[in-house]
Amino acid sequence: MAIRDDFPILKREVNGFPLIYLDNAATTQKPQVVIDAMNEYYTSSNANVHRAVHTLAGEATEGYESCRNILKSWFNADRAVLTSGTTEAINLVAHAWGRANLTDGDVIVLTEMEHHSDIVPWQMLAEERNVELRYVPVMEDFTLDMDAYAASLEDAKLVCVVHTSNVLGVRNPLEEIIELAHSNDALVLVDAAQGVPHERIDFKESGADFMAFSAHKMCGPTGIGALLIDADVFETMQPFMGGGDMIETVTITGSTYQTNEHKFEAGTPRIAEAIGWCAAFDWMATLDLKKEHKRLIGIARWVAEQLREMDIPVYGRHEAKDSAVVSFLHPSIHSEDLAHLFDSRGFAVRTGHHCAQPLLTRLGISGTVRASFYLYNTMDEAKQFIEQLKDITERFG
Amino acid sequence: MTYPAELSELIEEFKDVEDKMERLEMVFDMADEVVPFPAEQWTNQTKVQGCQSEAHVHVQLEDGKVLLLSGADAKLVQGLMGILTLAINGSAPAQALLLSPDFAEEMGILNSLSPSRSNGFRNMFDKVMKDIRQFV
Ligand SMILES: Cc1ncc(COP(=O)(O)O)c(C=O)c1O
Repeated sequence: MAIRDDFPILKREVNGFPLIYLDNAATTQKPQVVIDAMNEYYTSSNANVHRAVHTLAGEATEGYESCRNILKSWFNADRAVLTSGTTEAINLVAHAWGRANLTDGDVIVLTEMEHHSDIVPWQMLAEERNVELRYVPVMEDFTLDMDAYAASLEDAKLVCVVHTSNVLGVRNPLEEIIELAHSNDALVLVDAAQGVPHERIDFKESGADFMAFSAHKMCGPTGIGALLIDADVFETMQPFMGGGDMIETVTITGSTYQTNEHKFEAGTPRIAEAIGWCAAFDWMATLDLKKEHKRLIGIARWVAEQLREMDIPVYGRHEAKDSAVVSFLHPSIHSEDLAHLFDSRGFAVRTGHHCAQPLLTRLGISGTVRASFYLYNTMDEAKQFIEQLKDITERFG
Repeated sequence: MTYPAELSELIEEFKDVEDKMERLEMVFDMADEVVPFPAEQWTNQTKVQGCQSEAHVHVQLEDGKVLLLSGADAKLVQGLMGILTLAINGSAPAQALLLSPDFAEEMGILNSLSPSRSNGFRNMFDKVMKDIRQFV
């Protein structure tokens, strides 16, 4: 059975045409098993977690905690905090680790390739703590300037780097980045929002200290994500949000906190979403992800070649480890107009700055059109996309 | 809601067209109605917020009638500006203020636009109306 058949949404039409969904870097579609798991939870097990002894509470707690267990085994990690997504995971590091460990004059190294969610929390912290931010430039070939990176590490306490760029699809040389950081006693946070969907990552082997990602970019629900944390680093973090579930005891004179991940999960968590995410992992486990990635990067490379043949500039390189994201700029049709024209024929593509304005500034452009491919996309869809682009160019270009 | 005759006709024309790409093309063609607002005069005050692309509007009075000048880099936005121009240019300010933004929906343009664009249109419309209000 084809992967596509597991995704009910792919059967719908948009403006009278079959949907061709190419906005996967923004969010991916959900297989029926994920929809069913969440539905089933609300239909038969809904309760709050960790608090009551009744049967439903037990089932809900088991469902929620099994997500943490799957995360730990899928990524080989000792600590996995469930968050609302990548953004909250990074903000959690800024608050729980940054505010406990950074002082005047410390340096955080970022890159120009970062998503806004891996820039703004650090700017906020920098203002509050008088911490210096250094940005590693992106070069003409869409890769990080590794010499500049090495030179920026003096006094660095933390390096924040995107695993794979959501605009370019470029997968950064994390192994080298992490090794260099560690040899300068800096910790490393990897924004793996675009990394985990296309590459199986071993967290411990990667050497990263923090890794943030979102379920919704890997066929799971929106509203949930995770922060993986190195076990030793975990112990140096202070609670961020206070409330129920994260405490050990509370008296009117003070409180003591949980010592495990619950310390960072104040309040009623995303139970249905955790259960949905488990189903997404189970579904993904049935696929040969390496083979699928090879197929997808092949499609992206083909699309990029076709675009270049049409004299359309492409921003990316599509090497074997990159993600299947194709960003381009049409020479005669405005990106926004192009996206509307595509939509009128059932194609979903993204336009704009993709929440990475510093990167686009470096590239000297204000936005791109982005087509991003995922597990259920086919070469046939890619061909239709190029055909459609040729038709649109002929009529409107 | 009653619209100026020209706009009513246009709404009917749009309603007759099934194919969304064709409707978009019709909006693009309405860019011809725009009274150009040269990019050199674009400032933060003239900028329409919430648009994915650059969009600027400027309203002045000529012989007591509204004159909307506008410019944008996307054709679709230019087209929406053209429709608005057709609807209000040459009207007395008080008359222009009676226009409802619903026409974009009735023409089947708004639901063919992304939410951010819809907001962009709404922001443009509201900004033009606010600029007109200072003349009454
Ligand atoms: C590289 C990268 N980082 C962070 C994010 C933010 O993810 P979320 O909105 O799920 O928190 C995204 C999502 O667009 C992304 O692509």
